Amino acid sequence: MHRTALYATPDSQIGFIFFWVFPDPPFCVKFTFLMLASMYIYLPIAEISMHIGIIIGLGGGVGFLSGLFGVGGGFLMTPLLIFFGIPPAVAVATEANQIVASSVSGVLAHMRRGNVDFKMGGILLLGGVIGSSLGVMLFTTLREMGQIDLVIKLSYVVFLGIIGFLMLLESVRTILRTRRPGGRKTKLHQHNWLHGLPLKMRFRRSKLYISALLPLAIGAFVGVLAAIMGVGGGFIMVPAMIYLLGMPTSVVVGTSLFQIIFVTANVTFLQSVQTQTVDFMLAGLLLFGAVIGAQFGTRASALLRGEQLRGLLALMVLAVCIKLGFDLALRPDDLFSVELLK
Amino acid sequence: MIRARQFILGFILLLGMTSLAAANSSRLVADLSKSNIAITSGFHGTDLLLFGAVDGAVGDDILVVISGPPTDIAQRRKANRAGIWINVETNIWQKVPSLYTILATSPIDKITSPETLTSLAIGTNNIGLKIAAETPVAGQPKPTASEFITALQANMASINLWPDQTGNVTLTENALFRAEVKLPANILSGTYIVRVLQFRNGVAIGEDITNLYINKGGLSAGIYNFAHDYSALYGIFAILFAVAAGWLAAAAFRRN
Repeated sequence: MHRTALYATPDSQIGFIFFWVFPDPPFCVKFTFLMLASMYIYLPIAEISMHIGIIIGLGGGVGFLSGLFGVGGGFLMTPLLIFFGIPPAVAVATEANQIVASSVSGVLAHMRRGNVDFKMGGILLLGGVIGSSLGVMLFTTLREMGQIDLVIKLSYVVFLGIIGFLMLLESVRTILRTRRPGGRKTKLHQHNWLHGLPLKMRFRRSKLYISALLPLAIGAFVGVLAAIMGVGGGFIMVPAMIYLLGMPTSVVVGTSLFQIIFVTANVTFLQSVQTQTVDFMLAGLLLFGAVIGAQFGTRASALLRGEQLRGLLALMVLAVCIKLGFDLALRPDDLFSVELLK
Repeated sequence: MIRARQFILGFILLLGMTSLAAANSSRLVADLSKSNIAITSGFHGTDLLLFGAVDGAVGDDILVVISGPPTDIAQRRKANRAGIWINVETNIWQKVPSLYTILATSPIDKITSPETLTSLAIGTNNIGLKIAAETPVAGQPKPTASEFITALQANMASINLWPDQTGNVTLTENALFRAEVKLPANILSGTYIVRVLQFRNGVAIGEDITNLYINKGGLSAGIYNFAHDYSALYGIFAILFAVAAGWLAAAAFRRN
């Protein structure tokens, strides 16, 4: 089913439509079109041929959105890659490799502003390395059982559903509150039983004195997800840091990016060794598009307000969730599928 | 006299032998325009020409069978469980051709009988498809083996590896034949076996076999081999590349 998606738009069909719309273009137009239409690249690990414009376009599009909303974009890129015919295992592992790069470029800006809590990041990444190692093992087992596609899609539906819904709720509330003057102010964070766990540590930059077990557990949980879903996990890490740990918002994004670098690097390494599914060429081309897209996205983000941005992001997250949910719930056209084993 | 008789006898024998040869087997030579194909970074499927000469008569047919390197295929069947469609059954087909294409001068059922095709092992129904391992599902009506075979043929056709549509072979003056062979972009590397058969009145009277070698080449082969032979190093390299690219991107951002 995945590979058939590739044949839905072969160059011959694009060419047919193009020359039907413009029956007799000037030579230079014709030449450029034919040259672009034949720019396919054979991805050595995915072992499929894909149009170079699609890859860079995907990178650019997701890069734009990640610049616009300040998210990693892995949760969009991985399902899109699968949709375009990249085998799910390759999509997940390759996306981890790409997230290493986007997190490095993101974290540098936050480091300059001093918005990274290295101590907290260190504990989170310790958990993350453990979690992602377990995740890669789980991934390998599920892949052998033939259930990896299902688990990837189910995780997406569940987590995107929850996060999207909560974000939408929050941004709608904020928008409504700002319309009413004299909105109610809330406390920075509430203390609950989670803060009473043993192994207490002081995190100066986060202005917290909490148990180290808490960030360790959060890191491990997000690490498992990173390995299975091909995401950095920022969309879960950031709310967890704000609402569970009670970290100040200013250091949340930088610290999350800092630990994502190491977790995704660990996933890249383990997937390279265990499954050989990291496609270096695909990652490089996606990266190229994403870098350019992110620049435009960051500029565009200045045009919108924070809560509007979050509301839009929530809608997009929910859209991906609903699409994947329908894929699982609707009867597939073909109940059978094949996978060539080598 | 004796020498003359011997000569005549010899001549008759020779005549008999050649006519026998003409009746049972025919001279058939086939070749490919390219016998080595490299899957490089620009690979998007390939076209090649199969051509050859045959000692033919009016009404002869040429049939070409191209079969790719054998591979194992995992076939999965979905069923509804608690509202979602999940894979409930896996069959492993062992050593089946990764590509199977038939090209011919006429529709295949007009060339010869199904029995002959079976005896010659031509067609995906006749290549001895065997299920090696399967995970049974409790309380589930078991689809028959032929249902799985039909599904496998349909799935493989949809990814262009076992196309339903047979291509055309042109036979000129009952002596020269040619066929355009299109290989899809998702073919595996390995040795492809090209069988060319000549049919007369439904009987195969000549056969030639040539090989086609498809290998990964250039940068694409380099990356593939690197990833498989030195996978740890490959992983480290991929990480370092990503870090460097991220750094560069950040530097470009800052300047703007």
